This record gives sequence, C-alpha cells and structure tokens, in this order.
Amino acid sequence: MAASASTLALRRERMLAQLNAKAPPGGRVRHRGTVPFGAVLQIQRYELTNGLRILVCEDHVAPVAAYHTWYRVGSRHERVGKTGLAHLFEHLMFNETEQLKAGDFDRKLEEAGAESNAGTWLDWTHYNVAIPKDRLPLVIRLEAERMAHLVLRDPQVKSEKEVVANERRYRVDDDVEGAVSEVLWSSAFREHAYRWPTIGWMPDIEGFTTEDCQEFYRTYYAPNNATLVVTGDVDERALLTRIAAAYGPLESSLLPVEDVRPEPPQVEERQVELEKPTVSEKIAIGYHGPALGDADHTALSALCEVLFGGRASRLHRRLVQELEIATDVRVSVGPFQDPGLVEIYASARDEHTAEALRDAIDAELDRVVSEPVSVEEIDRARARSELGLLAGLETVDGKASTIGFYETVLGRPAAAFDRLEAAALLGPGDLLRAARRYFRRSSRTLVMVRPQKSPASTDPREAAE
Amino acid sequence: MSEVLVETSRELPLVNLTVAERTGAIEDPPGKEGLSRLVARLMRRTAAGLTPFEIDVRIDQLGAALGSEVTHSVASFQGTTITRSLDAFVDLLADVLARPALSEPELQKLVRESVGEIIESRDNDRALARRWFSRRMFQGHPYGRSLAGTIPTLRSITRDDVVLHHRRTCVAGNLVVAFAGDIDRERAEAVAARLTSGLAPGTPGTDRTPEPAAPDGRRLVVVDKPERTQTQILIGGTGTHPRDADHVALAVANTIFGGTFTARLTREVRSKRGWSYGAYSSLPYDRRRQAFSLWTFPKAADAAPCIRLELELLGTLCKHGVTKRELDFAKRYLVRSHAFAIDTAQKRCALLLEANLYDLPEGYHEQWLERVQSVTLEQANQAVRARISPENLLVTVVGTEAEIGSAVRDAIDGLAGTEVIAFDAD
Repeated sequence: MAASASTLALRRERMLAQLNAKAPPGGRVRHRGTVPFGAVLQIQRYELTNGLRILVCEDHVAPVAAYHTWYRVGSRHERVGKTGLAHLFEHLMFNETEQLKAGDFDRKLEEAGAESNAGTWLDWTHYNVAIPKDRLPLVIRLEAERMAHLVLRDPQVKSEKEVVANERRYRVDDDVEGAVSEVLWSSAFREHAYRWPTIGWMPDIEGFTTEDCQEFYRTYYAPNNATLVVTGDVDERALLTRIAAAYGPLESSLLPVEDVRPEPPQVEERQVELEKPTVSEKIAIGYHGPALGDADHTALSALCEVLFGGRASRLHRRLVQELEIATDVRVSVGPFQDPGLVEIYASARDEHTAEALRDAIDAELDRVVSEPVSVEEIDRARARSELGLLAGLETVDGKASTIGFYETVLGRPAAAFDRLEAAALLGPGDLLRAARRYFRRSSRTLVMVRPQKSPASTDPREAAE
Repeated sequence: MSEVLVETSRELPLVNLTVAERTGAIEDPPGKEGLSRLVARLMRRTAAGLTPFEIDVRIDQLGAALGSEVTHSVASFQGTTITRSLDAFVDLLADVLARPALSEPELQKLVRESVGEIIESRDNDRALARRWFSRRMFQGHPYGRSLAGTIPTLRSITRDDVVLHHRRTCVAGNLVVAFAGDIDRERAEAVAARLTSGLAPGTPGTDRTPEPAAPDGRRLVVVDKPERTQTQILIGGTGTHPRDADHVALAVANTIFGGTFTARLTREVRSKRGWSYGAYSSLPYDRRRQAFSLWTFPKAADAAPCIRLELELLGTLCKHGVTKRELDFAKRYLVRSHAFAIDTAQKRCALLLEANLYDLPEGYHEQWLERVQSVTLEQANQAVRARISPENLLVTVVGTEAEIGSAVRDAIDGLAGTEVIAFDAD
C-alpha cells in the first residue's frame, strides 16, 4: 500500500533534518512544496539557504536522468552596445574552470555517456544534461564547478566570438527567415530590450572583451539566480545531499535591478522593405501580444491554433490549399515574461506577391475580429495542444525542459497542465476578445521581402516553366 | 501477412504507430522521380473519398497526427494518437492505406504544391549541399536520384502512374506495422489486422539495388549562390553497412574522428580555430552502403583553409589511425550513451523497425554493445584504411563561386575535376 501524504511529509522532514545537520551554512535545504505534474508525477520544490532553487520530479521508467540548470538571465538583461553577451557567455560556460582544463567539461560528460546542450533566449539561459543515472554525481559536481569557478581567458573568448559570429551567419545573415525575424523585432520594439536579437548584432559580438564576460559572470551566474530541474530515475535523498554539498559553499550574488523599459503602445502600422537573395516574396507580420502570464495568452494561443495550426487551420487552407499563393504560413505566439509579438510568417508561391499574402491574411484576421470562431474549431485546437504537450513529455529531457521553462518564466513548474485546463474552459467569446484586443493593424509591423535580382541566377519562375 | 512489432509503455496515454512499405523511392521509374513521395502524400489526402479538409479535421479532432516519409528504401506513414482515439484513428488510417481516391484534381494540386516546395528549398543552403552531394556522390546509382523529384519529373507523373504504384507497393505482404506506447501485443496485432484487411496480400518487394561505386579521384562541386557570407561544405566517399565485417570498428573510428563534440574534427575546426559552429562526420547506411561524410559551415573567407584542414585530418586518420586512448574513450562513450537509444518505447521500436526494414544482420542492435566493447585498435585502424580513401572523395560547397571558387580549388591537392552549378539549376 502506498504511504499517505502525511507519512511522506514526515519522512521528508526527517530526511532534511539529517541532511541539514551536516550541511554548510549556504547549503541547508528547505522543502517549499509539492506540485502535481500531470496525472501521475509530482514535483518537489526545494531551496538552499543561498537561494538556489531545486525542482525534483522522480520518474523511474528508464535508468536515466536529466539535470537542467536555468539561469534567470537572457538577452533582455543586456544593454545597447553589448548585445549578444548572454549567448556568448553560454558558449564560454563549456570552457576552462579552476578544476578543469579547456575541453575537459565536454570530455568528461561524453565519457559518462551524457547528452549535453544549452540555449539562450530573451528571458533565460538554459543548460541541459541527460545522463545514465549512475553518473549523476559527476554532473552535479561539474555544474556546481562551472557556476562559480569558470576561468575566462583571452584565447577562449576570442575563439568563441568567432564561433558565435559563424552561428550568426548560419542563423541570420545567410538565412532569410532568421534575417526577417530580426528586422521584424527591431522594428516593432523601440524601447524594450526585446528589440535586439539574442544572438547579438555582429559589431557587438566582435567587440566583446574578456572583462565584459567576467563582469557578466560575476553578476548573473550565482545560486540565487538559478533553478536546478532534475527528472528521471533519481533518489531524492542522495540527490539533495550531493547538491547541498556541491552548491552550499557557493555565494549568492547581489542581482542588479533590471533596467526595464516597457514598450510604449504602438499606435500606427510600420512597414519595412527588405531585399534578399531568395527565390520568392515573403512577409512577416508582428502584432504586439501578451506576456506568457497574461490572462489572454491562452485564449490567443488557442485562436492562433485555429488560424494557423496544421493543414485544417483557416490560414493554411486559404493560402496554401485554396488560393495556392503560399508554400507555407505559420505563427508563433511569444512565450515571454514581458509582452512579445505574435509573429506570422508566410512564403509566396510562384509569382505571387507579399501584398497578396498580406491581403489574404488580413481577410482571415478580419473574420475572427468580426465573428466568433466555432466551438468545433476550439475543440480541435485543444486536442492538438493536448497531443503536443503529451508528446513533449516522453523523455526525461522533455519533462525537465517543460518544468524548467514554466518555472523560470512564470514561477509555476506545472503551468503546462494549467494552461491545458484553462484551454478546456475557453469559449468563442474568449477568442473573440483576444482577436479584437491583439489583431489591431495600428499595432503591427510588417516586413515585406523581395527577391534580389542577381545575374548569377535564373528567375525561379522561368525555371519552373 | 504483415509483420507486427510492438514496444509497450504505459507511461503516457499515447500510441505511436508506423506502417512501413519495404519499398521506397528507388522504385520510382526513371523520369518519374518523386512518384513514391507523391503517392504517399496523396493517399494521406484522399482516404475513402473524403476531402483533404475532412481528413485533416478528423485527425485533429482525435488528438492525433499523421504524416508520411519516403526514403530511398522505405515509404512509411507515421501516426501518433491519444489512446482514447486509437480505434477511430485506425479506421481512418485503414482508409488511407486501402481506399485512397487518388483523384486527378488532388494529384495536380499536390504536384503544384510540390513544385513550390522545391523552389522554396533553394533558400536552404544546407539542403542544397546535401542534395547536390548525393546527386554527384551517387551519380548513376538509385541513391543519387531525388526523393522529392524535380520539377519536370513531377509534372510528368500521371494518375495512372500513381494508381499503379499504389497497387504494387501497398500490399499486406510488403508492410511492417510497428507500435510503441500505450498498447499491448494482443491489441496491436488486432489493430494491424484491421489496418491491412482491405489490402491485397502481395509479397515483399525485392531490393536489387547494387552497391554504390566509390568516387574516382578528388572531385569538386560548387553550388553557386549569390551573397553567401558563409559556405556549406560536405566532403565524403563511400561508407559502410552493418553487413560489413568491419562496420562496427569503422563506426567506433568515426566516433573518434567526428562523432562527438570533442572529436578530432570539432576540436580542430571549431574549438581551436572557431571556423564553424558545427563540425561532424557521419556514417549512415541504407540497405546498401551510403556515404561517409564530413559537414562544416565556415564563413566564406575560411572555406578554403577549412577544406584543406579537413583533407589533412582525413589523411592523418588514414595514415596514422586512431590511438588506444581515443579508442577506449569512444567505446566508453558509445556504451554508456546507448542508454539514450533505448530510454523510450518509441526509440526501442525505431530500432526494431530499422533492423527489419534495412535488412540488418540478426541481433545487430541486441549485440551492439558487445561488439563495440570488443573492437580492437588494430580492427579500428584496419577498417579506416580499408573504407576511407582520402584520394577518392567528393567535395561539395555551397557558396558564391566568384568569391571563393579559385581559393577552394587551390585548397584541394590533386583535384581531378570541378563542376559549378547554379543553385537554382534544377
């Protein structure tokens, strides 16, 4: 028979008392609560006295574990002239520490059979390791080591700057969609830090110094600015004991007050023309949208699923299948701490123009602003979202990413399930309200992309004949 | 009777389902490249005479997803459904397989859509590199033919072609049905029987594809695209197949050379010089040997020195081999990371499918760890010398010819031939 909740709570209390009796001052562990994660799993919240948050989700299906570290620093914390620093720093975190030579971090993890990666975005930086469960102590040691004891030297900084510059060329300079998105955001935002790209402007990347990186590290890489998320085949007691020992001695940082500049309301439409070496015209449209935590984010996401989600969605049917003027049309609803953009992207087919795409998209958006969508469409959108959520939870990494993302942006690690429940309560009126609130032409920015004529290439429309 | 593979997991209320034909794009008649892919997509859109919209709505309502994928050797439908919708999803998929209308108007619409996709794909430099590398690496061989087809071949495909292809390949004897997730064997076999009950019995396809020939000398293909600040570079030769006695030894050697983030290639190209965001070597296989290849993407100014370096690294690998220290490290990595090849039902099922569809030797995946552990230094180095030939390679570069062409040619010693192709040539 499974133990009752009160029995489990008592056992946990005793465990923590024993653990804390031997812990360093900064490493005493407090239990902050239990959060259900779906129908079966639970997340246990802990915190060290130095501010490090720890979320543990035991799942014994396979003998593996995921160990993710989420730092609450992203490109929004940068300043003009130093854009891209959070992302460059993410690269540098794989380098030398006081205990490890350059390259040893990755080598030790690979030797242990781990899969490791990282990512930076507007609000956060995220390091993820998936590892066979018996090697978890290694990850705890290495992650604590690089949180506090990274060594930054000129040769590594120089080399990583070049890698990042190449990444920028790959994702932006030579990539049409990447370049268009960058122009869209920098045109739609004039004040808020979301206006510059996470990868940074090239001159800023090239201009970083080792001192810039050191200052950034000292400020933001501290236990009180991080959350550990551990999922998989773990033993909670052993895990917490090791985390307390490894991270307990680390000191908190005095985090600066963020220099927040809320974006003033956009009151008239903006349009940018862009020429690119591309085969067809394209359009990107950015409507100012809600923050992830805003009440209407779920309704707007459901509306966008009705409009753009899959082949049966209104926009795909109209633009790709009926009018045959686009090869692709899609949307992303910014999942950010502050209001972001609802970003629409469409690629024209054959000789069709960006204007034709815009007019067809506008016609469908006008429809949802003037009349409610059907209950049947909302139900379909919810079913798609449910499938998407479940499919993302198959691996320990998927669980840790979902938990860590929602904890970092909203402070609610199981918010993915909350959103699904909220979506079940949505009615046509909610989506109508969201449409009227956000799909206003006066608050949108358009980027119209035209193919650059080049003597080297044939006109794709001629080649198609 | 179709073969049924099952991996059960009750962790999530999801069932992943794959119906795979043991025939793929190599069955496309000459001049009709893209036929297999077109047929699979058209089946998906015209099941039981429903409109594509009706089918898409039904799938969405069920909380399911259904797509198709065509490779050279296999054409498959891959679906995922929430468990509660399994029966309804199976009914729909059975219609897709056995009762597609394959209507002329939908065929023509799909051809137009596919043509648009081919044109649009010219924006993707990595896809361009891969496409032209395959075409020239396997010139004259079925693996060099385009999976998506070309604009002229797509436009030449008729409804008769489609119907004939469907009748010939979508038969019960040519199918493998695989399940992963919230389903047990008993139910899976019942579902598989329902899926295939409307199909003709048929027999499994026979793959008469020959082994591909190795490149003759060092050859260069430049895919010329304007305004490239960065290049996409693929360098390779013929690879291996699990039937080869030295396959596992070569796989271990490939791990050392370019299979991980700390491998020689990434260390030299990215870590030391910062020349490319990514640098990897890969050793895929089909039912026959595929191509061993290196992939990097340096900025334009670094393309030539990067190519020279990669060729030097290959030369060093073949001349001096790998070290014992490297071998032991790679073996530890491969053995321990294998936990992530089998940590979900879907991944385990994918291994079963691969073994079945690609004619792998019996017990290939089950014995993988044991065989990796037993690879010796001599075996690894012998495999490298036998299978990798630095003097017989294809180098494919997507970049701006006027800016980099001359330097790239100078970087390849003993270059036997060069071809410059406009990026939108097809």
